[in-house]
Amino acid sequence: MEVRPILSTLFRNKTAPLLIAAQVALTLAIVANSLYIIRERLASAARPTGLDEPNIGWINLSPVGEVADPKTMQEVDLNTLRAIPGVRSATWANMIPLSQSGWNSGGMSLKEGDNDSGINSAHYFSPGSLVDTFGLNLIAGRDFTADDVFDHDPEQGSALPKTVIISKALAEALLPNEADLGQLVGQQLFNATEAPVTIIGIVDRLQTPWSNEGADGEQSYILPIRYLVGSFQYAIRTEPGQLDRVMKEAADQLSTLRSDRVLNSQRTFAEIRASRYANETLMAGLLIAVTLFLLLITASGIVGLSSLWVNQRRKQIGVRRALGARRIDVIRYFLVENMLITSGGVLLGLLLTLALNQVLVRQMEVPRLPAEYVGFGMVIMWLLGVASVLGPALRAARVPPAVATRTV
Amino acid sequence: MIRMNKLSKVYRTHMIETHALRGIEIDVQPGEFVAVTGPSGSGKTTFLNIAGLLEEHTGGDYFLDGVNVTGLNDNQRSRLRNEKLGFIFQGFNLIPDLNLFDNVDVPLRYRGFNAAERRRRIEEALAQVGLSARIKHYPSELSGGQQQRVAIARALAGSPKVLLADEPTGNLDTQMARGVMELLEEINARGTTILMVTHDPELAARAARNVHIVDGLVTDFVRREAPSLVAVA
Amino acid sequence: MFFYYLKLGAVNLKRNPIITALMVITLAVGVAAAMTTLTILRGMSGDPIPHKSDRLFYVQIDTGPVGRENPNGEPDAQMSYTDTMNLWRAAKAPRQTPLMGTSDTVSPERKDLQPFITTGLAVGADFFSMFDVPLLEGRFWSAEQDKAGSDVVVITRQMRDRLFGEGQSAVGKRLMLSQRELTIIGVLDTWSPLPKFYRLVGSNRYGSHEDYFLPIEYAVRVESGIEGQVSCTSRPDPGFQGFLQSDCTWLQYWVELAEAGDRQGFADYLVAYVNEQKKLDRLPRTVNNRLRDVNEWMVQQGVVDNDTVVATWLAFAFLAVCLVNTVGLLLAKFSARPGEIGVRRALGASRAEIFSQFLTEAGVVGLVGAALGILLTLAALAYVRQYARDIALLTEMDWLMLLTTVLISLVAALGAGLLPTWRACQVLPAAQLKSQ
Repeated sequence: MEVRPILSTLFRNKTAPLLIAAQVALTLAIVANSLYIIRERLASAARPTGLDEPNIGWINLSPVGEVADPKTMQEVDLNTLRAIPGVRSATWANMIPLSQSGWNSGGMSLKEGDNDSGINSAHYFSPGSLVDTFGLNLIAGRDFTADDVFDHDPEQGSALPKTVIISKALAEALLPNEADLGQLVGQQLFNATEAPVTIIGIVDRLQTPWSNEGADGEQSYILPIRYLVGSFQYAIRTEPGQLDRVMKEAADQLSTLRSDRVLNSQRTFAEIRASRYANETLMAGLLIAVTLFLLLITASGIVGLSSLWVNQRRKQIGVRRALGARRIDVIRYFLVENMLITSGGVLLGLLLTLALNQVLVRQMEVPRLPAEYVGFGMVIMWLLGVASVLGPALRAARVPPAVATRTV
Repeated sequence: MIRMNKLSKVYRTHMIETHALRGIEIDVQPGEFVAVTGPSGSGKTTFLNIAGLLEEHTGGDYFLDGVNVTGLNDNQRSRLRNEKLGFIFQGFNLIPDLNLFDNVDVPLRYRGFNAAERRRRIEEALAQVGLSARIKHYPSELSGGQQQRVAIARALAGSPKVLLADEPTGNLDTQMARGVMELLEEINARGTTILMVTHDPELAARAARNVHIVDGLVTDFVRREAPSLVAVA
Repeated sequence: MFFYYLKLGAVNLKRNPIITALMVITLAVGVAAAMTTLTILRGMSGDPIPHKSDRLFYVQIDTGPVGRENPNGEPDAQMSYTDTMNLWRAAKAPRQTPLMGTSDTVSPERKDLQPFITTGLAVGADFFSMFDVPLLEGRFWSAEQDKAGSDVVVITRQMRDRLFGEGQSAVGKRLMLSQRELTIIGVLDTWSPLPKFYRLVGSNRYGSHEDYFLPIEYAVRVESGIEGQVSCTSRPDPGFQGFLQSDCTWLQYWVELAEAGDRQGFADYLVAYVNEQKKLDRLPRTVNNRLRDVNEWMVQQGVVDNDTVVATWLAFAFLAVCLVNTVGLLLAKFSARPGEIGVRRALGASRAEIFSQFLTEAGVVGLVGAALGILLTLAALAYVRQYARDIALLTEMDWLMLLTTVLISLVAALGAGLLPTWRACQVLPAAQLKSQ
């Protein structure tokens, strides 16, 4: 190929190629880093909670004043909910994953008196079966029975539960580097409540309300507690496809059941998820828009400068045609020239990409960019370059050879 | 070498037809030095463009070195230009961003010669026009006459059968023009057919054969003995 | 002459419509991306109360047992009831207030309105003057009412409009909060600082503001429901009293000092206070207090999130690409006209005049780009407003931002015009007039 003469031409007309190369370099740096952040965000927002998400709803009522007999009210509510056709399971729960507010405990340990294990866990409790209602996957041990459940009245300070179900992530934190987590069943867990509780089951996954990145976003345990306060929050699991109708009926029926309560919120799990990850989605959306705009702008820049170039070199193209260049030779000339410029930009961009990533890593705790994103970005830039120069190159190929003999 | 039968060229733009050439009959033998003359707008340039395969004719037939070029596609015409023809333009048309070596190299690359062959031919061609010492120079560093010599070297490097020259001395002063003309005569003396368009009767007079085009028709052609170089000097 | 160049610039914009459009759009998009993220960043990190942010201090005291300290050395983010009330009642600073989030059901008197749940803030009387809270009608409660925990409440204008109708006076009317009756004594004028710098812990920093304000002694007396973050290292004794006496941390505490220089004095007082408490067998940990002014507290709480900073970095890199692109396209546009420069030079234009003409033309591109950029910025902010309710109120672009926008794009275009213009001026008059 005629690389050397093209290079020598480029060196004698530095400005425009430098501008394109600089643009390619900057674009590569931004695109590679953006793509990675986009993927990170979307991956983070796509993490499973362990719940049967499509069929779960969460409904919340608040009392207007003091509540005399919360236990009966909860039971009436639950009976009402369970009577709605299409409801598979319903129970009271103190919180639900991704809701971003809830209960948390620290210092989880298998040893008595060990208060600073550093293991945190979400503190779920319910008088019913969250395994059923959340649709959790029990991988060891058993679920609670009615006998496990203890009433707790915070005004009184009542008896404490004796049993607990933990998530696999919590089990792994308690027993690091251990393949057989099943051996935890029957062991005592400390600091979940004041008294030790016996682990009776392990669920595969149960995200915390905060769903942090990493393992501690899935460290959870469930206690069998009936919480006797005037707070009415119910998780509902329906048969497939029934959720929207059931939620509407549930809201209607619970609202009309008594007049001394206010319907606080009713949300499907999809809505809870969308609200939890609104910022991630927004960020990814903005970055995608920025990336697309950027590619478009860079492409337009290459088209603009290449067109100008073709116009400036019409005569030269005609001469080359007169000297025997075929149309394909002319096209190839511009493609090779563009490849050289783009490659220069890509090499410079490689350094810029790593530098930008370095800044992001140091200042914002963004993870280091994996090589494949850089590679992907480079391929994109090459393709973009070729695609952008194709139009001007085809126009150049249409320059008639007779241009060579025109005097002006 | 160049044979045209009833060759014509019509430019059509919307409603108007312009007859640039109207039935040219000409037969140029190998080794001839033909000067094409004629007033402005007579069709000289069109004739040269067609002879040089830069434009297609619209009627008649054109045989270049025995090949009928009528109806050849763009690639075949490019190939023929590259192998059989050499061009010398009034404006030199060197590529300003390439040094002399690379300029002469341009047609050879399209020919597909290997690097060694190209180098040999480039050095030989530049030596022939007396510019071997300037091989790394750029066109802007040369005088007009020197630039035209480079253009001649570029035309010669591919060993063409026919050299087509379009007012080769039009942009040069008398001194330089004479040098270029002498070079062309030398080349012709070594057997290359030359077809030269010019409006300068003095130059035309030095060609062995003159073709006069007026209003798209070959109206006159004259044969005479080539004047000796001594006589002119 | 300037107007002549301006006219030429405007005319020339029409000459290469595609390249001109590309330049303007490129500039507009780059400016819009940069301005949008800058607006958000500025909204997040700007000083919310500039004239006294160095005199308002957030107080932290490390509570809880030895051995379970925060691994990063920070004391608890909030304070226990005991310490808060001790400091508040001692009133060693010119102004001070505790902060407690509450949540209640409001039962409107109007029969056409359903009861609804909303959040409020239980504070001391100094809160309003400390944070420059504007009053629309009525008054704030007095020091006596503060101490007595009177059943009075100040509501927001929004709440008044909702309960009593727009523009109707609410002062003296009753408000039923979780079936407790309070008297409305004041209505706030619109007050919605974002982020909610006065309450960075336990509430959404960019979320909605509290709807009502009541004396903290009242809230404690009626055992109002707590809305916010509660951290306990051990389970408190049963009942609300048990909770109040525990070392659970759930209150926030601000002081306002007369001068920024009084800070050391107050810090010394805090140390003395903690040592005093140690004698009563409280606060067993090593003294580890913090006294942070508004901006320090915002930085410590990571108010500007990483996403916004990343987005801002990317947006400015994006602007850089747009500028490079504009330079390229301007270069293309100008170098397509060496003939014109040659003619003008031959007709007697000096280099300076050509320079002014072309820079003016670049400036026209910048102005049009800025105008479009402003429209795009508004559209982008509207998009952000729609998709992230959290930061909705932040996305107001003010006139200063507007000016910055115009300036950035002008400077960008002029900067982008410098190189091509310099190149254009290098053209020799003769070189262009001679046929090529």
